Amino acid sequence: MKVTFPYMGPVLAYKKLLEAVGHEVIMPQKPTQGTFDLATKYSPEFLCFPFKCLMGTYIEALEAGAEAIVTTGGDDNCRAGFYAEVHRRILASLGYNVQFFVIESLFKHPRDFIGSIRDLKGKYSWWHALGTIHFCYDLIAAMDRIQERIRILRAHEKNKGDFTRAWRDIEELFDTCYDRQDVRETEKKAWKILHSVPVELWDPKQAMRIGIVGEIYVTMEGHANQEIEETLAAMGVEVVNSQYVSHWLKQRLQILPWRKSHMEKIIAKAKPYLKLDLGGHEQENIAHMIDYWEKGLDGVIHLMPFACMPELVTQSIIPRISKDLGMPIVSLALDEQRGTANIQTRLEAFLDLAMGKKIRRAGVPGLAAR
Amino acid sequence: MKVGLPRALLFYYYDPLWQAFFHALDIETVTSGATTPHIVDNGVRNSVAEICVPIKIFCGHVVELLATDVDAVFIPRMITVEERKRFCPKFLGLPDMMRYTVPGLEGRLLDPDIQCRQESLADAQDYESLAKMLGKSGREVKRAFAVASEQWEVFRRYHRSGMNIDEAMAALNKKENPVYEPPKNEKRLTIAVLGYVYNIYDSFVGMDIIKKLRLMGADVVTFEMLDDGSVAEKLQRYSKTTPWTFTNKLLGAGYDFFEDPKIDGMIHVTAFGCGPDSMLGRLLEFIAVDHGKPFMTIRVDEHTGEAHLSTRVEAFTDMLRRKKFPVR
Ligand code: SF4
Repeated sequence: MKVTFPYMGPVLAYKKLLEAVGHEVIMPQKPTQGTFDLATKYSPEFLCFPFKCLMGTYIEALEAGAEAIVTTGGDDNCRAGFYAEVHRRILASLGYNVQFFVIESLFKHPRDFIGSIRDLKGKYSWWHALGTIHFCYDLIAAMDRIQERIRILRAHEKNKGDFTRAWRDIEELFDTCYDRQDVRETEKKAWKILHSVPVELWDPKQAMRIGIVGEIYVTMEGHANQEIEETLAAMGVEVVNSQYVSHWLKQRLQILPWRKSHMEKIIAKAKPYLKLDLGGHEQENIAHMIDYWEKGLDGVIHLMPFACMPELVTQSIIPRISKDLGMPIVSLALDEQRGTANIQTRLEAFLDLAMGKKIRRAGVPGLAAR
Repeated sequence: MKVGLPRALLFYYYDPLWQAFFHALDIETVTSGATTPHIVDNGVRNSVAEICVPIKIFCGHVVELLATDVDAVFIPRMITVEERKRFCPKFLGLPDMMRYTVPGLEGRLLDPDIQCRQESLADAQDYESLAKMLGKSGREVKRAFAVASEQWEVFRRYHRSGMNIDEAMAALNKKENPVYEPPKNEKRLTIAVLGYVYNIYDSFVGMDIIKKLRLMGADVVTFEMLDDGSVAEKLQRYSKTTPWTFTNKLLGAGYDFFEDPKIDGMIHVTAFGCGPDSMLGRLLEFIAVDHGKPFMTIRVDEHTGEAHLSTRVEAFTDMLRRKKFPVR
């Protein structure tokens, strides 16, 4: 069957996973203006931005021949858990005959989870399926490690665009991996490529470093956040992003109760501000803000889709967190219509503030001259 | 101790319960007045711009209460009141959000967690922490919960007998209930009004839509009048229900009303910025098409004028009437 899936995070790994169990994959395309136009046309006006992006991506993939969509469900109480149901009805009303595979949470609905994996794996053995999952996890984790480093290095590249090009080459290499051994070797090559990209010499004490937290889709996807990371890199700002699919998986799949993840350890810091998780990553986001400040980052950017329910609660609390910590935090709401101008202005004001704070905090004289 | 209760959000569903609860504990309560433009302004000023109107209004009521001599404002953290469903995320974060946005609330906030499996809160477990907040014993709180849920069940029975919330509240308080006299009109209609209680019954948001419809010669039914059992049963047929308690009740009621041949049309009243309704609204549209029944959405924000609502409601009833009683 020809299957497709949302364009989010390490799409390459999803492709590998589905191909390994005998599906033909129609790769979802990175959303463009055309995708947004489709999205706006066929989505309810007040639905959130990620829903619309997926709507557009799905239609494009269906037009390219996809017959089924694999996505996640979940009954957290953010709207994302209910996306698939509404997408399905809208696509049906548009006349697409499409099958949905909705992967539910392994822990909350073990039976549904296993059921959907069984449907997907078809005639392949469980052993084969598990092996493939393990391989894909390694692939995602390796790619995440490389990207994490690029986010720092890119601020210092000699020739604009070098790291973007390097990343494209690295992705192509990973595309040729078929088992865990391949992943290990490819990662070594990838590091070599990274280290061969020419960079300016820089003083780590003087470089600005900004954390990005927020709703997972807009935080991870450049097309959804107006390529904010590239903008920052061009301004010489290093970026630490809080959202990685491998971290997310690791937390969800953590089964050894005595091995506390880093996240669990820092989440206590968020509790005085927000007692419960609201269905997304709100406590994590707040915990990251505090953790980043303690680690010496210079500020945090909070990204959210316009009118995202749980993140609006975070946004309400941010002024207070920022005041308590003395750290600049800016919260930006994104959707398909917001112009770049407004975001650019707010970003610049925020960076000025962060720079001022940095000079005062570290007392680095050389900085004032920049 | 004097506790302030904001007349907003779930006030319209749970007020009889909380009144009885505090009464049983001998704690004085003060309820804020009906929503006024001034309250809305205060709410808007203390909220982030994009948040839904009902939360802004709630915020305005909190400001209102803080200006009085209450010792604490009661903002329970509504988490669950049934299995597998939760409240909209904004309810889960409501006390936190209010604490850090409304100046002066810190230290005057009473925010117990409500996590039950029964809507009547009869199975509330966490007495101790609430008892501590109130300076009472766990046993007293437990007893107060028992009294309160019983009182609330009476309130719900009034609903199910066909009263709307205003009427049920009046009946409960043994107030003179102006019996609703349907105006003499040969061409009567029955219209379902779907919406959260804080949208329909807050006259600032809902603009007395029920009264308006009745004046136009239509009988009105709402989701509270349905039996929870029948709603749940209706929903069972569908593969996946929405994650939020009240949205789900509206969805179930929607199915019920669309299938009911007595009902001529349906109006969905929603507030600007409501997340769950952006999905519910679309599903209701689909169901309306499936059943070939007239359906209209009224989206209200802090600037919507009364005239706008009246005109649309009038046009809708006219249309229904022409459809039901065609002139030959
Ligand atoms: S259900 Fe809608 S209107 Fe009610 S609090 Fe949530 S977002 Fe606001």
